[in-house]
Amino acid sequence: MGIQEQYRSEAAALLSSGEVKLVIGFGAGSTADRRRPLFARTPDEAQKFVLDAACIANLSTYLVTEGLLSDGKKVAVFLKPDGIRSINILISEAQLKPEQVVILGYAIENGKEITPLEGRNISDFSIGEQIRSLTPPPHILQEAERIEEMSATERFEFWKEHFAKCIKCYACRQVCPMCYCRRCIVDVNQPQWVSTSSHTLGNFEWNLVRAFHLAGRCAACGACDRACPVNIPLRLVNYRMGKEVIDAFDYCAGENSNQKPVLASFKQDDPETFIL
Amino acid sequence: MTRILLRNKLDDCIAAWQKAGFSVLAPVRRHEMSSFGEVQKASDMAFDLVLPERTIKDHFFPQTEPLIKYKISKHQIDSETMTPPDQKRVFFGVRPCDASGLAIDDPLFGWDYKDDYWFKRRENSVIVTIVCTEADDFCMCTSVKLSPDSAKGADVLLRPLLNGAGWQVEAVSERGTALLETISPLLQENSEPTAPLPQVAEKFDVEKVMEWLADPASFESQFWKDIALRCVGCGSCTFLCPTCHCFDIQDEGDTYQGIRRKNWDSCSFANFTMHTSGHNPRNTQSTRWRQRIMHKFNYYRGKFGVNSCSGCGRCTRQCPVDMGITETLQAISTLPR
Repeated sequence: MGIQEQYRSEAAALLSSGEVKLVIGFGAGSTADRRRPLFARTPDEAQKFVLDAACIANLSTYLVTEGLLSDGKKVAVFLKPDGIRSINILISEAQLKPEQVVILGYAIENGKEITPLEGRNISDFSIGEQIRSLTPPPHILQEAERIEEMSATERFEFWKEHFAKCIKCYACRQVCPMCYCRRCIVDVNQPQWVSTSSHTLGNFEWNLVRAFHLAGRCAACGACDRACPVNIPLRLVNYRMGKEVIDAFDYCAGENSNQKPVLASFKQDDPETFIL
Repeated sequence: MTRILLRNKLDDCIAAWQKAGFSVLAPVRRHEMSSFGEVQKASDMAFDLVLPERTIKDHFFPQTEPLIKYKISKHQIDSETMTPPDQKRVFFGVRPCDASGLAIDDPLFGWDYKDDYWFKRRENSVIVTIVCTEADDFCMCTSVKLSPDSAKGADVLLRPLLNGAGWQVEAVSERGTALLETISPLLQENSEPTAPLPQVAEKFDVEKVMEWLADPASFESQFWKDIALRCVGCGSCTFLCPTCHCFDIQDEGDTYQGIRRKNWDSCSFANFTMHTSGHNPRNTQSTRWRQRIMHKFNYYRGKFGVNSCSGCGRCTRQCPVDMGITETLQAISTLPR
């Protein structure tokens, strides 16, 4: 039995036994190479699940939908390691209760082979080492290094050109599991702290606010980057911020669910180099 | 015999228009994005695109636009109205769906109040449409009763020649006729055959959709909750839409001075309908998605006699969760009744 059939029947079993109220997975998309999120509430609906190497979205973002888990019931979700990492971060930030999430884990090797991951509860997964050694895909790394070598002026120009394209559609925020604020700072409008204007300055404001808020919290799933309709290389921003946090605090977000959020905790030996 | 414009005359053509006081905008690829941008020569243009990622709407209704500059002092308020630039522009290589989008929005911007910001730009712009020879999986112009060679919204219609050497040229408005006069020495008589149009399959029955949407019982249908379940509530479909036109007015500055701006807004956002009291009449994503569909295929048509969709398919093409008008309208047209 292939992984797709295995997970279809497992999802159906979870639903028919009543263990979970909902399974979030993937279904066929509008073209042959597209997959779309699919929500199954009945065993029949679970037969529509598709699971193959095209299933790259991070579905954990749906778990923080307002009200979804407030009834205390369980939800099962198809997750790759980056999704599992997101769950760890969400638990450590008290946004999810571990017992409410059933993980149907899978990994995609070389962009082709898909294998199931053992374990169904978040505590079954030890992904710490894997995450530490995780580097972005070669083309991203290459680009990150290229930017690193730029002068400050060149770097500013690089980001200015990209951010100038931003239309403030907030797709990056909406697909991000870590952007769970019920009211994002840019939507707080009494008073309007952050301008809604999508001029270059306003776009800088938005993209910098998001970069800061994701520092030490990003699961590196690349959802923001893929979602951006104007192709801003957002994962470069988050990769750089993550690296900064690892270097400064030896902290890599999402290694396990017992972590204390790095910017919400301290250690005696934290570096104080930034304090004058 | 018809008139044609050869590709190798395009540089001269741009120069002629510039000499006549126009700036020339065309599809371009810049900074990893395709959009309409100013060009100086033919090689700046990206002709291989089925459709640029961004619409030409951006150049008529920009994402942010200053309206008024103001200064508040103890006894008086000084304000200065900021008007859009009156630069004459040629938009070369517009797709029929994008050009139609402008025509669809005209009645909206001129309805109870004539929006100078829109119409000044409209009056100063000449739209040169290039008929499609390619379509992708997301194109759906035929489903909304337009076509890959629709002249709606166009001033000049270009049909690519089969041999790829240029375009058959036809003026479809007075403004178009005037524009062609500026390049008449560059045009030649020819009877080369034109390239065939792409097959764009009809993806839904828009009449059935309109009928269902107009039925008051459909408003509370479970259908909306199911179809919008995966919508993440971003604004990419609305901001990339050639006909979406909603905006918000914001004052930007401090207590004493600032600029009043007109900024794009989206019915996908929770804040769009948030009342000062904190009550939100569209407090779920399904009610927001319903609004978008109802507005495009029911309310807009009721007011202006036309659907607010030109079938470009960008909503689906760019959606991070593969939603869009096509899927929803397909689902509606196959609902049991």
